[in-house]
Amino acid sequence: MLVIRRLMTRYMPGMLTCQQVDSFLYDFHEGNLSFAQNIKFKFHLSMCRDCQAYVAGYKQTIQNIKAGAAIEQHPQKIPEDLVQAILKSTKR
Amino acid sequence: MSESGLIDELLKRNDDAFETLVREYGPSMYGVILAIVNNPSDAQDCLQKAFVQVFENIQSFRRDASLKTWLHRIAINTALMLLRSQKRQKTVPLEDYSQHYNQYGERTAFSADTAFTAKSESFDDSSNNIEQLFERLETKTSLHQLICQLPEKYCNVLLLRDIQGLSTKETSVYLEVSESVVKTQLHRARLFLKAALSKPNNLRVK
Repeated sequence: MLVIRRLMTRYMPGMLTCQQVDSFLYDFHEGNLSFAQNIKFKFHLSMCRDCQAYVAGYKQTIQNIKAGAAIEQHPQKIPEDLVQAILKSTKR
Repeated sequence: MSESGLIDELLKRNDDAFETLVREYGPSMYGVILAIVNNPSDAQDCLQKAFVQVFENIQSFRRDASLKTWLHRIAINTALMLLRSQKRQKTVPLEDYSQHYNQYGERTAFSADTAFTAKSESFDDSSNNIEQLFERLETKTSLHQLICQLPEKYCNVLLLRDIQGLSTKETSVYLEVSESVVKTQLHRARLFLKAALSKPNNLRVK
């Protein structure tokens, strides 16, 4: 089965190579691929376990980065002493 | 007060207008800075420096961008400058993390230092379980330090896109590079982190 898949990914007309999958990966993740590119990308993934793992790892990495960096992005207020320090430092 | 009215008053060096500016835009600028420097004390210093720059350069503000965009650009630049001054550690060459292909464009020999392969055990346990990942990271600071190991341009793009959550367009505006450059650099930075987060040894940032 693996051999058949390998032959298909190599010789089937229109099939993306792993290298092309890599070049499309960013836009796939961003949802920027055209309909046809998306179909080709997903078809390659369905045939190639290496790329399945690679793409899954890429997605997971981004999720991990975002989760790891999750902080309170926009506090409602900044401390009053900081406001006063800023105002003081800009007074001439 | 409208944004236009506020700008007019700021140009007249009205102290009340400046206080309004600090109270209204300070929190969002602080959030932007904190996401980049990852340290509340540094973030407060940065915010103060950023507002000093705002005060000194308000005359040069052109109304072709919104006030918020202009303020955030100053905040981001101030934070990135601080990050640059703090960077003591050697950055990693990203070439080590590129993929290798055979004549058919298939993945072949993986760099010895990467863990991109599906067969890697560390791939499964590192990438799929966020709690385990954080246990290994020990603190979120380690992740930030890891990101800071990237060459500056990659680090900046990753901080703005994935940590700060800005769009590609916004990032390109703030960093004054094209959107395609942002995409390329972000992709390479992510690939580095993908490899680094898969290898426990890479998490021990000095």
